[in-house]
Amino acid sequence: MATKINKQKHVENETSNLKGTLISVMVLGMIILISWFGVFALFLSR
Amino acid sequence: MHLHKYEKIWLTFGIGSLVVFLLILGYGAFWKGTHPQSHGVTIDPNNIQAYEDFKPENLGLTKVDDNQYVVNLIASAFNYDFGKDDDGAPVKHIRIPAGSNVLFQVTTPDVVHGFNVAGTNVNMMVEPGYISQLETVLKKPGIYTIVCNEYCGVGHHMMYATLEVYE
Repeated sequence: MATKINKQKHVENETSNLKGTLISVMVLGMIILISWFGVFALFLSR
Repeated sequence: MHLHKYEKIWLTFGIGSLVVFLLILGYGAFWKGTHPQSHGVTIDPNNIQAYEDFKPENLGLTKVDDNQYVVNLIASAFNYDFGKDDDGAPVKHIRIPAGSNVLFQVTTPDVVHGFNVAGTNVNMMVEPGYISQLETVLKKPGIYTIVCNEYCGVGHHMMYATLEVYE
């Protein structure tokens, strides 16, 4: 009985969906990169 | 260790960004010579005049070579001392030809001040006991306001001067 429950849990972890996490991480990463290069371009142009 | 394939993507992205950032930082520091404006040059704040560059006759704009200028000044509550003109009036406006190389040297006998030529990268903190230096090329002609951007007391807003870059 106990081993059955453990097996079910394991299967759940294997199929975890990280698509939303990937998109939000990339959106945040792009915001940071664009603002950093924006400030850097301002520094170089002055 | 098991990593989700998406995790590998954002780890690569994050580490890659860090490498690019450090390469740009290293290029700026070692090839371009970018460094903090107060790089450990000390001065006795109670006896600034003992230092050659800050004697009253050496304050203000000095041409040292073709296209090479030095600006020495003392920031104090609440004034920028650029020396005096031929009539004995305090200098509040300096003129530098565009494209020249300028070394700003600033110190203070009292509290922390700022030295910012608004609209340019000339922006320094001026601390008692230290000489703040910044060397730059003024490319764009125009009239720039020099302001104190570190709150230094009740007369803080009265600390300003102008810098004219002409063609």
